[in-house]
Amino acid sequence: MYGWIWRHLPGNAWVKALLSLMLAMIVVYVLFQYVFPWAEPLLPFNDVTVDNQ
Amino acid sequence: MAATTDTEQHEHAGEDGPPEPGAGPRGRGPRRIVAQAVSVFGELLITAGLVLGLFVVYSLWWTNVVADRAADKQAEKVRDHWAQDRVGADGPGALDTKAGIGFLHVPAMGEGDVLVEKGTSMKVLNDGVAGYYTDPVEATLPTSGKKGNFALAAHRDGHGAKFHNIDKIEKGDPIVFETKDTWYVYKAYAVLPETSKFNVDVLDAVPGESGKKKAGHYITLTTCTPVYTSRYRYVVWGELVRTEKVDGERTPPKELR
Repeated sequence: MYGWIWRHLPGNAWVKALLSLMLAMIVVYVLFQYVFPWAEPLLPFNDVTVDNQ
Repeated sequence: MAATTDTEQHEHAGEDGPPEPGAGPRGRGPRRIVAQAVSVFGELLITAGLVLGLFVVYSLWWTNVVADRAADKQAEKVRDHWAQDRVGADGPGALDTKAGIGFLHVPAMGEGDVLVEKGTSMKVLNDGVAGYYTDPVEATLPTSGKKGNFALAAHRDGHGAKFHNIDKIEKGDPIVFETKDTWYVYKAYAVLPETSKFNVDVLDAVPGESGKKKAGHYITLTTCTPVYTSRYRYVVWGELVRTEKVDGERTPPKELR
């Protein structure tokens, strides 16, 4: 999977490394900005109130 | 290139015994497909591990950064609002409940103050503030002067973690609530280190579980416990000892000095 991505990135090793880093940063950004805020309320780590539901 | 070598190693590892002579590093046939599937599966597992690790970083660090930023901004707005009111003639109880009603100071939990806002929904609490209950039991605000229970909730971890050190509060410790013109000095008198999340009785106007039978001016702090999970709730009760007028310099009461 990662090998496939690496082989399909253009340029020499340095360009590939730079592009990989950028891809990784985009993935982290999407996770922090959209995926984790969506997933958090579904997980039982942060309910602090008492209620009768 | 490094990644290619990795894949090849995986392929070799997937095969039994040494590779057939002349088969080449790429291999062929069903064995190669199995090896490739194993390699992709392994990479997916590694990815899942990384994502879970990132989620921990997100919950315990990033949400604090975001929440503290939001809380600071709102707190500044409240303080500004108070200061402006002070300059002009004191308006008739111009209480800006939208941005926050006041600040909670608990020396036992550490330095600094916690902005208090209306409501205990995740949307409110995720801004790094404490919220007073409107549901299932409506909290009685100290500013109303009526007897009742001023019940609050805040995050234990992440999102500002404002009640992280709630377990450091002991009986007799001061809990001070600051509004525009009054310091409400409470004293913690009972702690419930573990209770069910369905135990809404702790928010009652007269919290029976704390040992009180008569109406009074109470404050209740609730959060989740043990740390990093929300299996149970942690509750601290306090009772109003006295109130103090805020002076021109906003000198804090002696409990905070």
